[in-house]
Amino acid sequence: MNNPGITEVLLSLILVAISIAISRFWKIEVEKDIAIGSIRSFIQLIAVGYALNFIFDLESIWLILATLVVMSLVGAQAAMNRVKKINSPYLLISFSIMFGSFFTIGLMAVLQIITFEARYIIPLGGMVIGNSMNAAALSINRITSDIHSNRHAVETALSLGKSWRTASLMYFRNAVTTGMIAILNNMKTVGLVALPGAMTGMILAGADPLDAVLLQIIVMYMILMAVAVTSVVVVELTVRQLFTPNHQLK
Amino acid sequence: MDKPILNISHVSRNVGDIKILSDISVSFYQNKIYAILGPSGSGKSSLLRLLNRLDDPGSGEIIYNGKNINSYPVCELRKKIGYLFQTPYLFEKTLKDNFLFVDKEISDDQIAALLEKVHLPQKMLDSSVEKLSVGEKQRVAFARLLLTKPEILLLDEPTSALDPSITESLEKFIQEITLKENLTTIIVTHNPEQAIRFGQQGILLSGGKIAESGDIKSLLESPQSDAGKRYKARELS
Repeated sequence: MNNPGITEVLLSLILVAISIAISRFWKIEVEKDIAIGSIRSFIQLIAVGYALNFIFDLESIWLILATLVVMSLVGAQAAMNRVKKINSPYLLISFSIMFGSFFTIGLMAVLQIITFEARYIIPLGGMVIGNSMNAAALSINRITSDIHSNRHAVETALSLGKSWRTASLMYFRNAVTTGMIAILNNMKTVGLVALPGAMTGMILAGADPLDAVLLQIIVMYMILMAVAVTSVVVVELTVRQLFTPNHQLK
Repeated sequence: MDKPILNISHVSRNVGDIKILSDISVSFYQNKIYAILGPSGSGKSSLLRLLNRLDDPGSGEIIYNGKNINSYPVCELRKKIGYLFQTPYLFEKTLKDNFLFVDKEISDDQIAALLEKVHLPQKMLDSSVEKLSVGEKQRVAFARLLLTKPEILLLDEPTSALDPSITESLEKFIQEITLKENLTTIIVTHNPEQAIRFGQQGILLSGGKIAESGDIKSLLESPQSDAGKRYKARELS
């Protein structure tokens, strides 16, 4: 496959046109969404392409970090949409995503699994942050809804002289598991059901499939750790907010 | 007269703009059973929750054994002032697990002795809690509460889900254990007959305030307050 140019991109608009035709023919009425989505993704990706070129050329550590921070903040905003009943959810989720992601990327750089260059850090950071964002959203929703819907069980444990930590431990574990469930399922079926993104990209770019597989393994483990750390941090910070210092459920 | 084991002084509690309890002052003494009576929403359960520190009052103070309850480590206080909820909650999976949740070191023999106190057979030790009736669950929850070795028992309508024969035996057990273990028992009940059967002190709540308190028979048979007269007319007519 040749590297795609503007001609190929324009030709691929035929695929969008067929999708619009399908929507119109069966009266699904998503033509407008398809059109807006196609234009928006085109503009966003072109802009990101230029931005990445700029960042890769400068190769500034501060610019790399700033990019990761911005990605985390945008991710936290997306994860926050469904969160209720806790104080400063944006701050809490941003911190959790950054902690999980930066810790993972930092460890990989220290272990020299990856080189600290924009070309590697930015795309891998994007994967880590995207997965951490989903894990944070799922975990935080699970812990808040579980504690509130099991109020009687939690207060029974408290009334027997148990700490808030013991009273909420089962829900803590369930919430962390919920955040990790997607990556755990992915790890079970990876390569058998679908080829993952990083590997697909490398193979399409002409890399040896075995090299692509090695990278994919690293990516999976990286996402696993980031998701585990993010889920634990976000649930820990959230569950503390649901109780008073006197071990009372708010 | 002895010092009270528990003294509530000018306690009030609001939830948002709603006044739940207002200027409650009452003393409780060792070896006695107190019945808290009153219509639904009068603040009976809310008062018990304050004593177990599941909630805190907005104003006033609660003194336990001569010290403000806030000065005790809250988890230790809750073991000493034990609370039995109206609807019992048992943890998964077996009856034995519920005792191990409170005390990891407890032996099967110790659990059996506790079960015997609430008239449940030892063979139920490994039964799944899902198979228990509401009455059995209530008795297991009671036995589990005793494991914390409380000095004060807060019982929120403990017999409301039990049939009459079990109610009678549990009432008898509550009276026995209160005397035998030198406890103070505070029972919320909707049932004036039950309050009389316990035959000691009564506190009538109305609209979050103490309408009157004292000897339970006098309180129910010849109430002095308007709220007490209304309660008598409604519940004992």
